[in-house]
Amino acid sequence: MTGSSETIQRLDPETRKGFRRLILSLADTKRILGIRYSDWLLGAPSIEAGIAVSSMAQDEWGHARLLYSVLKDFGDDPLEVEHSRDASAYASVDTLDRPFPDWSAVVVGMVVVDGVLSSALEGAGSGAYEPLSGRVSKMLAEEEFHGELGRAWLRRIAESSGVGRARLRERVEEVLLPTLRGLLPTDPLQGRLVEAGLTASSQELRDRVREAVTPSLELLELEFPVVEGQGEGWDPDRGRGPGHPLEEAVERARGDRNRALFVE
Amino acid sequence: MMERTYDVFARKNRGDALCHVGYVEALDDALARVYAWKTYDEEKWFEMVAVPRSAIIPVNRADGPFAGARPESEPERSP
Repeated sequence: MTGSSETIQRLDPETRKGFRRLILSLADTKRILGIRYSDWLLGAPSIEAGIAVSSMAQDEWGHARLLYSVLKDFGDDPLEVEHSRDASAYASVDTLDRPFPDWSAVVVGMVVVDGVLSSALEGAGSGAYEPLSGRVSKMLAEEEFHGELGRAWLRRIAESSGVGRARLRERVEEVLLPTLRGLLPTDPLQGRLVEAGLTASSQELRDRVREAVTPSLELLELEFPVVEGQGEGWDPDRGRGPGHPLEEAVERARGDRNRALFVE
Repeated sequence: MMERTYDVFARKNRGDALCHVGYVEALDDALARVYAWKTYDEEKWFEMVAVPRSAIIPVNRADGPFAGARPESEPERSP
């Protein structure tokens, strides 16, 4: 299979719909994750940590831009997709709908949300669609440092205070299950993609996530959750749970304020 | 939690001299690795290493950024 738009158009309509959903989910999640990291450029515990999250925000935005550009093979105008959608059209994972309330949540975001997102990306990159398989390896190389930073901070906080450890536990319990459901779904549309060789199976990818996060979960005395079904309110069109990111984040993602300054 | 200073050295190409490019403050080695890579990523480095400043042994100077690790009993050596 090649990466041409003809190849995409040759897919049966449901598979094409599912594949577009997957790419949009990856791109939107990266765009919103970049926004969430950017909230901490000035609030991180040290200058170095602020520089690191700044760099990670740039990574996520760059990856999102590359993923949006792939959508032209589906007949989309990537600029329209990036700049003209309402919050209700976003396919980003629901665990990023609200800002990270504290540094512990940022750390769990790096380990859990960014980690599951990278597994989903790895799955799509291992599929037969060349525009993705050609781009994903560089993205994953950049992502290695995100996970490393998150795991190092998680260990530090977990070992330093009972309060910090309790906060991490609470946050992991809050986000791990819905993030697995959202980014590695097992609904019929995803099943079609696996059958078509466009991505790896979500169960296989969840197993890889389990292996990656187990040392962090053990530090917090948590078990990897049992994931059954897609949960209440699953939106099969967007491939995410109910709701949408806060409007303020989407305004920033679209660049509304920056574009208002353009002079025609 | 106490941070310590790590000095960062890097070379652009295989065979180049390893140069001191800066420092980072980090809680441990794992964080120092990420901070060093993310802070000094303006170049495409062939190799980068971070060294705890406390592990650097000054040889001939009693002043400058590395002097703190110098054993007090050691006299300054003339160049």
